[in-house]
Amino acid sequence: MPELDFFDCNCRFGSAAAGEAAIATLSELLAEMDYYGVRRALIRHNNLDKGALSSNALLAEALTQKHEARLVGACCILPAQCEEIPEPEEFFAWMRQSGMRALTLSPFEHRYLPNRLTLGKMLDAASERKVPVLLNAFAGKWPELYAFLQEFPKLTCIYVESVGKWGSDRNIRPLLENYQNFYFETSGYWVPEGIADLVEKYGNRRILYGSGLPRYNQGSSMLQLRHSGMDAISMAKVAGENLEYLLQEAEI
Amino acid sequence: MKNSIWQKKGSLAEAYWNKGAAGFPVYDMHGHMGSHYAIYFKRCQAPEMLAHLKRAGVKILAFSHHDALWGSLRNQQVYEICRQYPETLRFYLAINPHFPEHIKEDLAKFESWRPLAIGLKLLSDYHRVPLSDPKYQYALDFANERGLPVLCHTWGGSQYNGGPVMLQAAQKYKQAKFFMGHSIFGDWEYARRCVQESHDNVWLELTAIPGERGIIEKLVTMVGSQRLLFGTDLPWFDEFQAIGGVLAAKISEEDMKNILWRNAEAILRESGALNA
Repeated sequence: MPELDFFDCNCRFGSAAAGEAAIATLSELLAEMDYYGVRRALIRHNNLDKGALSSNALLAEALTQKHEARLVGACCILPAQCEEIPEPEEFFAWMRQSGMRALTLSPFEHRYLPNRLTLGKMLDAASERKVPVLLNAFAGKWPELYAFLQEFPKLTCIYVESVGKWGSDRNIRPLLENYQNFYFETSGYWVPEGIADLVEKYGNRRILYGSGLPRYNQGSSMLQLRHSGMDAISMAKVAGENLEYLLQEAEI
Repeated sequence: MKNSIWQKKGSLAEAYWNKGAAGFPVYDMHGHMGSHYAIYFKRCQAPEMLAHLKRAGVKILAFSHHDALWGSLRNQQVYEICRQYPETLRFYLAINPHFPEHIKEDLAKFESWRPLAIGLKLLSDYHRVPLSDPKYQYALDFANERGLPVLCHTWGGSQYNGGPVMLQAAQKYKQAKFFMGHSIFGDWEYARRCVQESHDNVWLELTAIPGERGIIEKLVTMVGSQRLLFGTDLPWFDEFQAIGGVLAAKISEEDMKNILWRNAEAILRESGALNA
């Protein structure tokens, strides 16, 4: 089997405000990735719940450090009406300059409703440009997630969950079935041979490797994927090619 | 992946990465069987579970059946399932405090079910009866008199099976072997106390912990790897995910072998449970 090229799509970086698990420095993060053999990671800031703009700035600053193109960032958006973030075109230009290739949001901590009224302008632009949106804030919040996807059915989005460990098939499968741009990340999905089941049912393009670092280490889910029972092509796609493709497809 | 743990020549991690096994048997001391109301399981019956265990190099799975824990299946039927797979399956008698007659009737058969029956399973959080309640006394006395393993679901902060309740039980029933399922998850200090302030009769069982960054390392430092047992809640969690969590922990390979293999094997061998 060829060597797998891992691209972690669920990875947080930076200090945290409330004592959560944290990897504070970029060198520490890269050393951890080296230890487990993860070549690249899509990272979001650990403290984004405590400030979209401040965490965006910290992440952008960190990405100016040397990392040999191993890291890309996901930055946090807010409702357009308060003019805390610029218009989509300007925002995407800033993302491009700052090494950001994906979006995330934290509506429940930042206290707004995640719908078309609040986020329509930005997320319609993101849909059009196929910019991936990480749905970490919706982990385990099924009514909110279902409502959000009804509002933005064409959005390219990745459900990342590292809070629960029980398989959420009863909630995840309807979303994979009904939203073709809905992607599922594996860090909270410990179902025996379940990754292969999802790939068999929904195709090898829809499932992405993620670790949940720093709460989880990157190694356990790597071995789970390595021995998932999938064919080599599917395994390579889940390990990293799918995320690579999504980020390349994004017009930023 | 160059220079990663999976590429380190001759290591356990390399062996598992390349071959799915590392030349020693794994003992999974916390499993279940059967469907569960809260989750979809594709593989929760014996044949498909055994296929998964075989792929991951697991020699023995010690389990309690979900339906037996809820009182809708008797332990006799679980014994009959194990009889079909004596090479791999061992079971804990499910103890539900709301079915006291079942407890007495089933424990009366325990000796005849050995060596496939290895101990008791208590699920206090779900049955909503604290482990200190007299409803458990008959079963715990039974285990204590025979030095049996008692796998208890435990969780930090729980009034039913949290740290203080578990410490009290381990101190009271000195001969019973307490396997603290999930290691009193989150209350690591009480996990330590249960091991160090009891009578050499407590092991911390790791289900739901492998993969949590730094926790296995913490437990090894606090109580030593000789006091840890591997478990997965299969069919809840993937064997490779959990084995990967042990191999990915920053501990020695001797510690890994203790956790995955030696500790459980020693307990089962001592009790004759490997002589099926």
